[in-house]
Amino acid sequence: MQMRPQIQINSMIKAMTDVVIPAIDSSNQLALEQSKLVVGMLDLMAQQLPFQFRFDRDELKRLATVAQKLEAIADADPKFGGPRRQLQASRISASALLDQCAVDPAQLEGSIRELREMIGAVVTAIGSGDNAKQIAQGEACILDMTREQTLRDRALLVAQGWELDPGALPPIDELLKEAE
Amino acid sequence: MRPDKDRPSAEWIASLRRKFPTEPQIDQILTRKMERRAGPGYAPVSLDALKQGLHSLIGSQIQSRFSITNTRWLSGGASKIQMAFDLDWERPGVGRETTGMVLRMEPAESIVATSRVREFQLIRAVRDIVPVPPVFWFDANGEHLPYPALVYGMMPGVTKPSNTNTRVSGLGTLLAPQMREKLAPQFIEHLARIHSLDYRTADLTEFTAPAPGLQCAEWGVNWWERVWEEDSDEDIPMIRLAAAWLRRNMPVMDRPSIVHSDYRVGNFLFTEDDMRITALLDWELGRIGDRHQDIAWTTSRTFGGLDADGKTFLVCNLISEPAFYDAYEAAAGLPIDRRTVKWYQVYNNFSIAVLVYATGYRVARNGKTHQDVLVSWLMGIGGVVLEQMREQIEGGC
Repeated sequence: MQMRPQIQINSMIKAMTDVVIPAIDSSNQLALEQSKLVVGMLDLMAQQLPFQFRFDRDELKRLATVAQKLEAIADADPKFGGPRRQLQASRISASALLDQCAVDPAQLEGSIRELREMIGAVVTAIGSGDNAKQIAQGEACILDMTREQTLRDRALLVAQGWELDPGALPPIDELLKEAE
Repeated sequence: MRPDKDRPSAEWIASLRRKFPTEPQIDQILTRKMERRAGPGYAPVSLDALKQGLHSLIGSQIQSRFSITNTRWLSGGASKIQMAFDLDWERPGVGRETTGMVLRMEPAESIVATSRVREFQLIRAVRDIVPVPPVFWFDANGEHLPYPALVYGMMPGVTKPSNTNTRVSGLGTLLAPQMREKLAPQFIEHLARIHSLDYRTADLTEFTAPAPGLQCAEWGVNWWERVWEEDSDEDIPMIRLAAAWLRRNMPVMDRPSIVHSDYRVGNFLFTEDDMRITALLDWELGRIGDRHQDIAWTTSRTFGGLDADGKTFLVCNLISEPAFYDAYEAAAGLPIDRRTVKWYQVYNNFSIAVLVYATGYRVARNGKTHQDVLVSWLMGIGGVVLEQMREQIEGGC
């Protein structure tokens, strides 16, 4: 997925800064102010995005720690029994989730990129060889993978309007659920 | 070691030139692009600055008094900056008049690296056989303007009906049946005339015709695979597969023709009152090559749509595919080899995928164009193009 938010946000900021804002009538202060706020918000998003996952993970980790401390405090008093049990259940669930969220999205993206590159190199090597059976097998493998991947790429971007028959595409959430 | 594509070394550029031999002039264009890659991004240019540059360019070409007025931005065109203006001048053979003109200038780095001189020569070559805008002057190396540029005449007409909404770049333009009936025959006739022209009679010094045989196809694959190497970020195995497939299945060119390379709805003007095509636009990717490249491009699923029955595919939303082929063969007197069309369908999708995924990414990331937001937007078509290419390769040719 080459079309990621970072490049989209940067290009939007440039369009606003280079083209839209200079074209706004200087007497329209409201439009000028709103446009500058749009740029500021986009810039903030660009800074936030790389940290969003780690930020949320960090918060959940500290919340789980606090929850455990509160459980201990409430442990001795029976009147806290109900809320304490609910808190404990949520904290255990949060801790399990934290274990699953050990990997940063940037690492995930890095691994995707690396594997794409390595697969690409092998595809080139097989495709330029003269073993017809290997070529056919390698092609089938990549064509199958591409079918599944482009289906998801297209479903993710269906709102852009490139599809001849957009209704024929399954919703992206359904496609991603399949994999989960 | 992985090359730094944003600051390419001379050695790496040289290695790509050796690995991917192509038409010599295309090699020069791509080499120039890479040599300038590490330079600054695109800085907004004011209308006044462009007017000054134009004054310098036109002043170097004509001796009589002239004035430039009514400068204004034009939208459309993901690859070039376009400014309209009026020139009051002594037009050769006409006399004093005010001519509406368009300045077409490159940004710091375009989504497609091309040459203004080639564009100029190609339009001149076909001006007597098909409607094109008059081309006046070019600034080949940006001596007068901030970047290389071309000046051509403003033509009457629209690229899409005034009362319709379409996607960017004219893709998905919807046309009423009565419009199609009038536009389709002209559209096909003009393409046939371009392909039938003997290019050797034209002044096309900036072009090299490929040798008979496989060279046309090979130069083409090398061109786009080189661009993939130069510009891509994230690898795409399907691109690698397509490149190898294209090389294994290259067709023999039976007859070299002028190829427009972007002949489609959205790239011609027509007048709405009489439904007449007034100008064929966007010649920048043109080359001397195989006419099947244009036929495959024009009939691409990307540029057409479904008829009201929801089933019949309309080439460029104008005419059904079988009817298009029949009309073209009758008009051009040249056969269409369906296998070669299929090969060029894969080739064209390969080039689009390279442009949107690799060059589009690279130029937008480095802030090199006046339309980074549009270039980023266009990356979204990549999935559709890859899927078409997959289906075409799976279907064989």
